[in-house]
Amino acid sequence: MTATVSNTSTAMRLRENRVTLQKTVTACLALIGALVVVVVIAALLGSERLPAGDTLCSLVSFGARQCGLTNDQFDILFQIRLPRIFLAAAVGGSLATAGASYQALLRNPLAEPYLLGVSNGAAVGTMLALLFFGKMEWSRPLMAFVGALIATFAVYRLARGKVGASPERLILAGVIVTTFLSSVIVFVTTLMDATRIRSFTFWLLGDLSGATKALLPLAIAISIGGALVLTFNARSLNLLMLGERDAFDLGVEVSRVRIVVFIVASLLVGSSVAASGSVGYVGLVVPHLARLSLGSDNRISIPAAALTGALFVIVADTVARTIIAPRELPVGAITALIGAPLFIYLLKRA
Amino acid sequence: MFLGWLHYRALLWCGIFALLISTLSCTSSTSPSTKTSSNSREITDDAGRLIALPQRVDRVVSLAPNLTEIVFAVGGGDSLIGNTTYCDFPVEARSIEKVGDTLHPSLERIIALRPQVVLVSTASQLEVFTQQLDSHNIAVFVTDPHDLEGVFRSITQVGEIIGKTEQARILVAKLRERSAAVDNAVKGFPRIRLFYQLSAEPLYTAGCDAFVTDLIKRAGGESVTADVPGAWPKYSAESALAARPDAVILPTGGSMGEGNSNVAEALSKSPAAQHGRVYKINDDYLVRPGPRAVDGLEEMAKALHPEAFK
Amino acid sequence: MLEARELTIKYEDRTAVQEVSLVLRPGTVTALIGPNGAGKSTLLRSLNGQLTPTAGSILLNDQPMEQFSRRAIAKQITVVAQEAELRFPITVLEFVLGGRFAWAANSGWGWESEQDLQVAETVLIETNLTDLTGRLMSELSGGERQRAVLARALATEAPVLLLDEPTANLDMSHQAILLSLVRQRCDSRGAAALVVTHDLNLAAQFADIVVLMKAGRSIKVGNTGEVLTAELLREVFDMSVLVDAHPISGVPRVTPVHESIVLIDNLKSRSIREGG
Repeated sequence: MTATVSNTSTAMRLRENRVTLQKTVTACLALIGALVVVVVIAALLGSERLPAGDTLCSLVSFGARQCGLTNDQFDILFQIRLPRIFLAAAVGGSLATAGASYQALLRNPLAEPYLLGVSNGAAVGTMLALLFFGKMEWSRPLMAFVGALIATFAVYRLARGKVGASPERLILAGVIVTTFLSSVIVFVTTLMDATRIRSFTFWLLGDLSGATKALLPLAIAISIGGALVLTFNARSLNLLMLGERDAFDLGVEVSRVRIVVFIVASLLVGSSVAASGSVGYVGLVVPHLARLSLGSDNRISIPAAALTGALFVIVADTVARTIIAPRELPVGAITALIGAPLFIYLLKRA
Repeated sequence: MFLGWLHYRALLWCGIFALLISTLSCTSSTSPSTKTSSNSREITDDAGRLIALPQRVDRVVSLAPNLTEIVFAVGGGDSLIGNTTYCDFPVEARSIEKVGDTLHPSLERIIALRPQVVLVSTASQLEVFTQQLDSHNIAVFVTDPHDLEGVFRSITQVGEIIGKTEQARILVAKLRERSAAVDNAVKGFPRIRLFYQLSAEPLYTAGCDAFVTDLIKRAGGESVTADVPGAWPKYSAESALAARPDAVILPTGGSMGEGNSNVAEALSKSPAAQHGRVYKINDDYLVRPGPRAVDGLEEMAKALHPEAFK
Repeated sequence: MLEARELTIKYEDRTAVQEVSLVLRPGTVTALIGPNGAGKSTLLRSLNGQLTPTAGSILLNDQPMEQFSRRAIAKQITVVAQEAELRFPITVLEFVLGGRFAWAANSGWGWESEQDLQVAETVLIETNLTDLTGRLMSELSGGERQRAVLARALATEAPVLLLDEPTANLDMSHQAILLSLVRQRCDSRGAAALVVTHDLNLAAQFADIVVLMKAGRSIKVGNTGEVLTAELLREVFDMSVLVDAHPISGVPRVTPVHESIVLIDNLKSRSIREGG
C-alpha cells in the first residue's frame, strides 16, 4: 500500500463516471414511462378511427368498461389493435436484446440477428414447422428456435478462423449463412402451393398481423425472461466486449456465457420470427442508440435496448398499419428503411 | 463487392417500399387493336405493346392456368406445346410439357420448345424475359384483365392469335349470354355488402384491379374493398371488422385445397358470420380470369341471391 | 505460490512446450526469454489455465489448478497482455473496474462495491491515471493505454502477475515505468511476476530470476548473471552477443553483434572472455 494518498476530487470523479444501479433504474423507469405513452398513442391510431376520449377511458379501465365505444370499436381496440401492439413490443424487445448481446459476445457493433442469418435460420424452422406440423402452433417457435440456434453456431464457426474473428469475417460469415438459408427458403416455398407463397413472402418481410393470438403470451414471456437472463450476464458481457481472452483472464467462464447467450438469443429470435417473420435491423439500430446515449455498459444498455426496441417496433408498426390504410405495409419495410442507412453508415465508419 | 451485397438488401427494401406506395390509384385498361399484313400481323397486348406474329400460329406456350383454359376452350389445345405446373384444367392440360410454374418459368425449356408465342397473364417479371425471348424470335403476349370484359377480350385475343377467331367469338357470345342472365336475375335485388377473403393470415382481399371485384358487382354484391388500390392488397384487420360485411366469400376447394376454409378472426363477429352467410366458392373460378369465371359468377350470384334463381 | 511441474503442451501437429518446470515465488520477478517460437507465450497461457497441458501439472498454492473455479483462479492470477482491440467505447474507469469482476458477490451480475472503488482508486493513483478516469480508452496514447491495462491487472489484487510482452509497443521510458510498477507490486506486496520479454536488458534490469527457453524446452533457470551469458545466448539465439556489466547497476548488459561488423573476431573473443 504505497500510494493510498486519498484524493477527494478523484474519489468523487470515480463515483460520478460510473454506471450505477440508480442510473440504470432511472433510465429503465423513464423508458417504461415512454413505453406506456407510446402504447396509448399507438392504441389511438389505426385504419379505423376510434373516439379518443372513450378509447382512453376504456384503456384506463383495462377493458373493464366500454366507455361509449361500440361493440365493434371495443373489439377493434382489445381484440386487434392492443394484441398487435403488445406483439410489436415483444418482437422489438426480443430482437434488440438479442442484437445487443450478439454484439457484446461477438465484439462486433454490426452483429444483428437479421444480418447474421439467425433470423433466416428461424424462418426456415418456422416454414418447416408449417409444412410438416401445420396444425400444431407451438411447433413453430420450437422449430424457429432450433433453426436460429443452428444458424448461430454456423455463423460462429465460420467467423472463427485460425487468426480469430474479425468484424469483417463475421459479417462475411453472416452473408454466407444468410444467402444459403435464403435459397433454402426459396426451395421450401416451391414445396408450397402458389396461393400460400404470397402470404409467405409478406411474412418473410416481417409482418405483425399474422396468426399470433396463441403465440402472443409466449412471445411476451420469452422477451421479458430473455432480457432478464442476459442482463444478469451483463457484467460478463462487458468483459467479453474486450475479447474472449481478456474476459477469461479476469474470471469469466467464457464458454458458459457463450452458450447462455447463444441459447437465449436464439430463443428470442425464434419466438419473434415465429410470430412475425423477419423484422430486420431492429437488433442493429436499437442497441446502437442505447450505447450512444447511455454508454457501453451492458448492465444498462441491455435493459435499455430491450425497452427501446419495444418502443421502436411499436412506432414502426403503427406507421406500417396506418400510412396506406386500410392497406398495410410489412413492418420490416419500415424498420429496414431506418436501419439500412444506419448500417451502411456504421460499416463505413468501422 | 461484398459491400455491394449488403447495400443490395437495403436497396431491395427501398424497391419494395416504392412498389407498394406507387400502386396507390386505380387505373383502367387499354383497348386492343389488330393489324394484318401479308405474311405477318401485329396485335396489341394488355401491356400496350405491339406484337408481331406469324400469320399461322400453331406452337404456343401458356404461362398461366387461365390462359391454358382459354386455349383449350377455344379449341386450340393442339397448338399448346408447353404450360405450367399450375395448369390442371382441363385434364388434357396436365399431360402437356411443363416449363416451370407461373413465377419461375424455365427460359431454357421454353426456348427449346420453339414456340411462336408465349402467353403471359401479368406484366410482372417481364422485362428481361421478353428481351431474351425476342432474341429467339419468340413473341410474348401479355394479358392483364381487370374485369369480365377483360376476360372476354383475352379470349378473343387468344382466339385470334391461334387462328380460332370464330370459336372464340362463339364462346364469348355464350359467356355473355350467361352473364347477362345473371344480370337479369339479380336486377332489382339489393346489393349485398361482402368481404372477399383471399387469405386469413395474413388478411388478403381483392382490390379494385382484381377482376373478381367486377364479378362480385355483377353477381349482385358489393365488395367492401372495391375501392382499395391494387389487385390483391393486404388488408387491415380492424378495417375488415369495422366494415361489418353481410357476407363473406371464401375462394377455396380448388387449387387451394383445404386452405382458406375459415373466416378470419376479425370477421368472426361480423353479421356475415353470425347469419351464416359465409360462402365457399371454388377458388379456380374466382382467381383465374378464364372461361370458368362465369361459373364463378353464377355460383356467387346464386349464393348471394338464392331467391332470384327460384 | 505458482508452480509448474514437467509441463508439456502439444498442439495438433507440434509440441510447443516440453517438460518445463517453473516456480514463481512471492516477491520475485521472473523473466521468460528465448527466441520466437520457443513456447514462451504458450507456457504463460497455460499457467492461468487458458491452455490445458498435455502432461504435467500446475500447482496454485500447492493445490492442483483444476480444483479452482475460473473466478478463484482470476483472484490469484492475473494476465497483462499486449493491448486488446477496442471495438466499443469504454472509459478508463470502466476498463479498470473490469479487474474487479472476480470479486463480485455473484458472477456476471451486480455492481461494484465500495471496496472495489477504493481498489480502483488506489491502482489509478499508482499508475498515475487519475486525470484520465473519465476519458475513453480509445482516446489514450499507447503508453497510457498500456498503463490502464496494467492498472486493471493490479486491480484484481492477484498475487501472481503474468505479463506477455507487455512492453512490446512502448518506448523506452514507458517500458521502464511499466516494469517498475510490476517490481513495486512484488516488493511491497510480495507478489510474484512472470514477464515474457524479448528485451534482455530490461529482463536483466528488473528480474530476479531468468528462464531461458528454446524449442519448447527450458535451457537454463537462474539469476540474471547465471543465465545471461554470451555462450548461452549465442547457443540459444544462434547469434553472437556481447555481454558486459552495466556501468551503473552492474547487471549484465547484452549487445548483439552483427556478423558483418568489422573487427568481428576481436569482439567475439572479447565477449567470450568477459562472458565466461
